[in-house]
Amino acid sequence: MTTRLLRVASAVALSALALSACNFDIANPNSPDPIGSNPSRARVAASALGLLAGVRSYYPGWILNTSIIGRDGYRFDGSEPRYTTEALTGALDGGGFIGGSQWVPQYRNIRSANELLTYIGTAQALSASEISAVKGYTRTMQALDFLNVLVAHTQDSIPIAVGIDVTAPPAPFVTQTLAYDHVENLLDSALTDLQAAGSTGFPYSLSSGFSGFDTPTEFIKVNRALRARVDVYRQNWAQALTDLAASFVDTLAPLSTGTYLVYSTGSGEATNSIQQSTAENFAHPQLRDSAQLQTGGLLLDARFLRKTFGRTAQTTANLTSDLGWAVYPGPSSPIPIIRNEELVLLRAEANLQLNNLSAALDDINFVRTTSGGLPALPAFGSQAAGIDALLYERRYSLLYEWGHRWIDMRRYGRLNQLSIDRPGDVVYTTFPIPTDEVLARE
Amino acid sequence: MKPRMVWLALVCFVLSAGPLAAQTRILTGTVRDSATGGALAGVAVTVPGTRLGAYTKDNGSFLLANVPEGAATLQLRFIGYRRRTVTIEPDATTVEITMVRDLLKLDEIVITGQSTGVGRENLPNAVATISSDELQRTPAPTLEAALQGKVPGAYIQANGGAPGGGIQINLRGISTINAGADPLFILDGIVISNSSIANGQNAVTAAAAGGNASNQDNPTNRLADLNPADIEKIEILKGGSAASIYGSKATNGVVIITTKRGQVGRAQFNVSQRFGFSEIANKIGQRTFKDSADAASVFSPALVGQYFRPGQRVDYEELLYGRKSLASETELSVSGGSDQTRYFISGLVKNEPGIALGSGYKKQGFRINLDQTLGGRVSVAVSTSVTHSRSDRALSNNDNTGTSPGLVLPFTPSFFDPRPDSLGVFPVNPFERSNPLQTLNLLKNQEDVWRALGTVSTKWSAITGDRHNLNFTVVGGADYFNQQNDFLSPPELQYESLDGQPGTVILGKASNLNATLAVNGAHIYTPVSKAWSATTSIGMQYEYRELNNTSVLGRSLLTGQSSPDQATNRDVSQDVRPGRDLGLFGQEEVLLLNRRLLLTAGLRADRSSNNGNPDKYFYYPKLAGSYRVIAPIGSLDEVKFRAAYGQTGNAPTYGSKNTFDTTGVYDGNFTTSVGPRAGDPNIRPERQKEVEFGLDAQLAHGRAQLSFSWYQRNITDLLLDQTLAPSTGQVTRIFNSGATLRNRGIELGLQLIPVQSSSVYWSFGTSFSRNRSLITKLPIPAFQTGGFGTSLGVFQIEQGKSATQIIGLVGGVQKPIGDAYPDFQMGFSNDVEWKRFRFGMHWDWKKGGDVINLTRLLFDAGQNSPDVADGGVARITKWGAGNTKVYLEDGSYLKMREISVSYGLPSNLVATMFGGQARNARITLSGRNLIRIADYSGYDPEVSNFGNQAIVRNIDVAPYPPSKSFYLSLDVGF
Repeated sequence: MTTRLLRVASAVALSALALSACNFDIANPNSPDPIGSNPSRARVAASALGLLAGVRSYYPGWILNTSIIGRDGYRFDGSEPRYTTEALTGALDGGGFIGGSQWVPQYRNIRSANELLTYIGTAQALSASEISAVKGYTRTMQALDFLNVLVAHTQDSIPIAVGIDVTAPPAPFVTQTLAYDHVENLLDSALTDLQAAGSTGFPYSLSSGFSGFDTPTEFIKVNRALRARVDVYRQNWAQALTDLAASFVDTLAPLSTGTYLVYSTGSGEATNSIQQSTAENFAHPQLRDSAQLQTGGLLLDARFLRKTFGRTAQTTANLTSDLGWAVYPGPSSPIPIIRNEELVLLRAEANLQLNNLSAALDDINFVRTTSGGLPALPAFGSQAAGIDALLYERRYSLLYEWGHRWIDMRRYGRLNQLSIDRPGDVVYTTFPIPTDEVLARE
Repeated sequence: MKPRMVWLALVCFVLSAGPLAAQTRILTGTVRDSATGGALAGVAVTVPGTRLGAYTKDNGSFLLANVPEGAATLQLRFIGYRRRTVTIEPDATTVEITMVRDLLKLDEIVITGQSTGVGRENLPNAVATISSDELQRTPAPTLEAALQGKVPGAYIQANGGAPGGGIQINLRGISTINAGADPLFILDGIVISNSSIANGQNAVTAAAAGGNASNQDNPTNRLADLNPADIEKIEILKGGSAASIYGSKATNGVVIITTKRGQVGRAQFNVSQRFGFSEIANKIGQRTFKDSADAASVFSPALVGQYFRPGQRVDYEELLYGRKSLASETELSVSGGSDQTRYFISGLVKNEPGIALGSGYKKQGFRINLDQTLGGRVSVAVSTSVTHSRSDRALSNNDNTGTSPGLVLPFTPSFFDPRPDSLGVFPVNPFERSNPLQTLNLLKNQEDVWRALGTVSTKWSAITGDRHNLNFTVVGGADYFNQQNDFLSPPELQYESLDGQPGTVILGKASNLNATLAVNGAHIYTPVSKAWSATTSIGMQYEYRELNNTSVLGRSLLTGQSSPDQATNRDVSQDVRPGRDLGLFGQEEVLLLNRRLLLTAGLRADRSSNNGNPDKYFYYPKLAGSYRVIAPIGSLDEVKFRAAYGQTGNAPTYGSKNTFDTTGVYDGNFTTSVGPRAGDPNIRPERQKEVEFGLDAQLAHGRAQLSFSWYQRNITDLLLDQTLAPSTGQVTRIFNSGATLRNRGIELGLQLIPVQSSSVYWSFGTSFSRNRSLITKLPIPAFQTGGFGTSLGVFQIEQGKSATQIIGLVGGVQKPIGDAYPDFQMGFSNDVEWKRFRFGMHWDWKKGGDVINLTRLLFDAGQNSPDVADGGVARITKWGAGNTKVYLEDGSYLKMREISVSYGLPSNLVATMFGGQARNARITLSGRNLIRIADYSGYDPEVSNFGNQAIVRNIDVAPYPPSKSFYLSLDVGF
């Protein structure tokens, strides 16, 4: 009896021992770890293209939100009343998804870029010039992310010294001036990197959206184009002309020449969520009222006709529109990052501000006639008249492509000229700092 | 259906047709209720130490042949009555026996270890037990629904009204914030899964876009697969002091389910047939537009001109949720056995159509439980079941695409007629993105689950003696299910073309395995004096689990196509969640002073692959004691004082130790980006320390029992999914924050038998429980979790505040506006027996607990609420000015969960029915959720848009409406 007992007891003990010895360290099969030391070429490529995927994820929401806040459009969405309430009246809610936007995905992308920049130097599979190329590209993308946060947040400015350690205290907020300096520094050090890369290509394909700009040498033109946009925002007019000269501004090239974000219905891709058949999104009827007549006096501005379409009128929350957006015909339509039409207008603006009125007139008329089918303007009577003309062209040329209209009206102190459709509605000058960011610092 | 019945009958025949031995001594007798004198049918009468056994007939009589000569002992067992042992005189041939009702469950043995238990009279914790009778009085859609309001300290709340389940059980308050919130479910000794696997409807609703990225797919939880009729008993260990022996799985409590087993005796065959129907419990309504000018104040005049007809009003809720189809449920069971072999076999076929078009729940189940004695010392218990269920869930909850019918109604005027024309073509709804009637008619959202549960438990009684008893139990078993989700949103649906890819199909396949191996040894020592006894147990428990969820999403389909293979664009996803846990435990239980004093001490050691260090053991001790004072004063029969302390853990959820990149494809190339959540390689379980004091008193000679418990539980090392400063690049970080959470509460129970006479028996029970949670320490800044943003109400985790506080805007400023947890809960039950009638009623009262009613906000936003003029406009205007509280409502309710009236047919009538084969028959009329008293403007304050959640519940966004059900049942025993 006792021996049998002992035998059973030892069997129990043994089975417990056997189980306790088995491996409990189970690998997680669902996703890759973050990038680390000595990344492979494929890992570098995945991280680098992830930056474009990140930008792709936040552009449609930004375009939609600023189209509403900038009074170029509406969103009548039964499921989400805040598009006709918070976005137009009261106050933006930093804890909500409209007021709290243009922050989280941008900083996530900035972090991705920081991780890539931390480890790219250790990649033994890449040559020194390839590493430079990756750095130049990454810093340019990071500058674009910072710029996106900056244009949305003017009053408090933003944190810039963000690292890759979530347990460290949050990076401090810096002034608007320092934050813009940081963007310029990133773009300029990216330029140095890209120049150092020389004729070597990027160790990955930059996607079809960068066709013509997919070598470091060509990519420099994109880098300078973005710098020119920053120059104009900072009123560094002469610097803007210098940077534009190094960009791809070209009145002989199509106005659509530029770099684009790729959207696709393929597996794992993202679709363009503000495409034409998205029934909730409306263009503001005021766009029709303000559009000038084309040469011949019969048709409205070709840009208006091209970018909107007439639809059954809908009324929601005492707002009415019968115009839809036709800027993006389908779920795979690309969205521009920066393109020739903007660059020509940036050059016009810099020249206007430097009082080179005729050079500015040439560029404005080029865009008016080519893109809008409008008659050319006579010489500007004054700089102010030139600014009025410029803002009109910028509105219709860059319609529904970024937050251009809202930013432009703010830059020129004209937000009070935007249409107020209901009594009590307001035009915001900035997005608030998201509640999560504020709470985490308390 | 038919072949299964035949098969069951066959089994029944074979097992009951044992040859009779030569008869010598015959003993007959009658068993009656001690109070009423009524005959008791179905009492198991056995002679211990022999193979003899019988059940009493309808008139209470039994007959035992071949009874040994001399004085004999009879043992009587009957559900709901105290066990009785009777000694029979050597010459007796007939005997009259009475049995006493056990309303207070005094005879019950309640589990306190993995394989050991103590009598309820000595129990040191407030362990709730639910008997099969309490579960079965009124048909319930799922097991959890049958428990609602019956367990003091349990907050059991449905997420919505959709058939097929979606209910959360929460025991003794908030035990975690970001770790798993589900109790541990043990069925016949093995861990079973209660996973909720999303169906992927987000691909159509895009609910996770914009405001909140969490799942709002209205998933079912897999506890729904169990058949309540198979359950003998449910024991609920509510917290750390009772559940410590389950270690790091037990912080949310443990629900131990035991299925029915065969009894020695001839085969008993029971059939229950139920028919019924459900209807919408209450409607919200829509605005009625007086005239076209009234309509044009909201909608564009062009549309009003086209669609407004004076007097035309469509009752959308009637069209969408007005179905009253016949529900049916058939249960069959046969049980019996010899002293060597016992069996319980059951079958279930259930069909429960939903009130919403295209919804319903069908379930078929089959169970065989066998017990076999091998020699004198070894017994094997086998429990197996196979269940198949199919639920059609229709479409409900939040969306961002105008697809969920409940979100279309706020913006669709009642004068627009959505019904199809004579050719079956549905009109386009020009006011919204979809025609809800078309959606519910054509959309398919089906969940098909096959589940197999199997357990083999072997018990070896190594020593059985007067002083020493030693036994070993080995339980091995597996719970495996395969869930297939078929979601088809055909291209002809109005909204389908809006994303440029008409037609969406989702095929989800998830399989889950939980395998458990438990080895226990128990030694019981009783000295010759029998003045005390000591139970020593040790054991181990190993669990392996793996959930593998794959899903294929296809977009752009031709009409009539339903395979992802036929879609133009396809997306594939997979999520695998493996895990291993090992626990070792030891426990000593000493019963002293003639069973007056019980002392227990135990220790559990646990390791888990979910922990940062999978090799490290975490230790969970417990200590408990109880002392009975017999007849201290007057009519007080007995008072028991009890105290218990114990610790449990809550292991981190899968993947918490890792930080992952998010992946995707950009223009055909693979991409990685920083993932939203930072893991922690040092992550470890939360720890709950619970102390519980209580007393149980019996009064008036067993006709009243009062029980009281007070508990306090501190959860330390709290796992928090801290919301980070987004400028860090990540959204949350899961880690052991050093925060602590405290819950304090009381539970009161009162059981009474006010009337007990020869014709009337009335029992009354009531329970009260309340709990308060408090975040006592939070070393990180306060953060918000869940919800749709401050203006719509969010939950905020903040030191010194309740864990379920709701924050919103008050005059544009963020302030606390409410709390989702109820102030208290009460349950009331009444059971009256009068002659052949039985009447039962069960009420559930929840006081307090705020609900964020966003459905109402949406109706107001669409200026389409029924009270738009005298309330709606004012509400939305006030909300727009930064006042969230307008849409925060008191979620109090008083619900009549169950009511039933039944009539037992007289035996002479029964004898003429069913070919004279029936023993008894009973007809029952019953109803579930027939009365609801609530000052809530939405469908039901019992709601959760985000499904099962630790904190973020009570958010109402276009839920599936609740229903009330009526049933007529016939139960026949053969």
